[in-house]
Amino acid sequence: MSETQIEIDNVNAYYIGNHALKNISVRIPKKQITAIIGPSGCGKSTLLKCMNRLIDLTDGITYSGKILIDNEDVFDRKTDIVNIRKKMGLLAQKPIPLPMSIYDNIAYGPKIHGLSKKPDLDAIVEKYLKLVGLWEEVKDRLNSPASQLSIGQQQRLCLARGLAVEPEIILCDEPTSALDPVSSQHIEQQLLKLKKDYTIVIVTHNIHQAMRLADYVVHLYLGELVEHGPANEVFENPKEERTRAYINGTFFADFKVDSELNLKGNACPFNFVYAKQALHTMEEGKILKVIVDDPLAVTEVPRGMEADGHKILNVKQINKTDWQIVIQK
Amino acid sequence: MELRRIEESIFKALMILSLVIVVGSLLAVIGIILWKGLPVLDIDMLTKTAQGGYYLGKGGGILNAIIGSLYLTFGGTVLAFFLSIGIAFYLQKEYSGGTRLSNITRLSLDILWGTPSIVYGAFGFTVLMYFHMRASLLAGIIVLALLELPIMTRAMEEVIKTVPIELKEVSYSLGATRLETTLRVVSKQALPGLMTGVLIAFGRGIGDAASILFTAGYTDRIPTSLFDATASLPLAIFFQLGTPLPQVQQKAYASAVILLLVILAISITTRILSKKYTKYIIK
Repeated sequence: MSETQIEIDNVNAYYIGNHALKNISVRIPKKQITAIIGPSGCGKSTLLKCMNRLIDLTDGITYSGKILIDNEDVFDRKTDIVNIRKKMGLLAQKPIPLPMSIYDNIAYGPKIHGLSKKPDLDAIVEKYLKLVGLWEEVKDRLNSPASQLSIGQQQRLCLARGLAVEPEIILCDEPTSALDPVSSQHIEQQLLKLKKDYTIVIVTHNIHQAMRLADYVVHLYLGELVEHGPANEVFENPKEERTRAYINGTFFADFKVDSELNLKGNACPFNFVYAKQALHTMEEGKILKVIVDDPLAVTEVPRGMEADGHKILNVKQINKTDWQIVIQK
Repeated sequence: MELRRIEESIFKALMILSLVIVVGSLLAVIGIILWKGLPVLDIDMLTKTAQGGYYLGKGGGILNAIIGSLYLTFGGTVLAFFLSIGIAFYLQKEYSGGTRLSNITRLSLDILWGTPSIVYGAFGFTVLMYFHMRASLLAGIIVLALLELPIMTRAMEEVIKTVPIELKEVSYSLGATRLETTLRVVSKQALPGLMTGVLIAFGRGIGDAASILFTAGYTDRIPTSLFDATASLPLAIFFQLGTPLPQVQQKAYASAVILLLVILAISITTRILSKKYTKYIIK
């Protein structure tokens, strides 16, 4: 295993008497993407917020244990938390621009850390907007309010803003859950690009996203650390039954496939339409297996089919490029 | 089914009735003031101070009261602002942490809010007597600031509370301190609300007569120092209405029109100013 960036040691958190994190110990590897997966309310976000102690803003929370970043204990009251937070960029669930212009959103961090010369700030703003691929879209309106950007642009702005304080770590709390598929893909690509320079921790309840991004996986369930390890091991051969069940979806029941449809090589709207047509010819209750290789289809086909009233039984990666989606009419 | 529909219409009627009463009273107040005040409102009232015998129907105006009221209320509002903004920011969770101190502060503010303004006036008067001082602009400003403080602080605190926690998290996650977060993010997001708070307090201050009755005094001259006594619009109205002469009583309504116009002007200016900053607000 590679070098450790964040060492989490025996962390416990209690939220108004509720044991939200139970004895979590795990080492987050440097310059890799670590995905924290698990169902809603399992403590994923709590663990993430412990790492930069934003958890302090939550009412009625107590915690214990140790989180070491560069040999400094985040939980130690003597640690300069402002300095620790500077090392970590945060990408929240919903993009939250600051109530300022696009320019000032990026410049805010560098400014509070003592940079005040206009040319330096200009250079930083340009550099990081370019890094997230937003520069071309906004260079003519840097002084307009950040809230006027589209939600996908806002999330990239937030990423750039976090990077502008030159952190070592990027913490992402379900960063794509409020975005449309195209914007989500954009963010995912950014993260993959960034991992050569940054340690990335991403909380996600989207198992497919975790599969696409993660090098290392941490599975939490009801505040317990169920399993952790390199992504390919955990996804292909989970040691724990609970992890296996979670990865395969809750509907991991026996099912008999009545019909199969290979949609490899089709772009998104088409595999959608073909799947729909195939279901149309089938009887109620019959099961269709669809194979796709377009990353968009992996999330969009199930979503669309569910919207049409069909039941998604299983979504699973079957090899490097292909995914199977099992749908019951 | 039928009964439920009747219930529905009865409650709807009641709500409309309350609305009519509220809007109706406002229109009635403004209407009566304009109807009685406008015909006697002349340029002299705005540009001249009260000459000797003004209250007996002789010439002159109430410039002394207009200027006096503006001095008093601006002074009081500015003073109250600096105290309020500090308290309101401190009542945020990151500073006071929902502790007993913050609860006691809130309770005190609520009690102060409910305190009749004549009590503030009497209190100010007692203090003045203790120090053997006369009624003055400064004393009036201090008492008005006390009167406005709870209103402003509570209004500001409510607005600051509505600033989304996520916004603060963003700022903290970038390594900002509490002060930086408060001054650069929270205050920006809350700005229009803060301005409204100031405005409400200003309106309350400029209209209050009882608190400055004993503390600011009353005079026909425009004050030239903080230690001069000063006239004010509410007291000008009070004294003019108090005379037995109908033509002077009518001038009281004209003074009320002026008071209304001052409040309107301040309110519109604030709104225009805050528009400039609201475009950055995150909804």
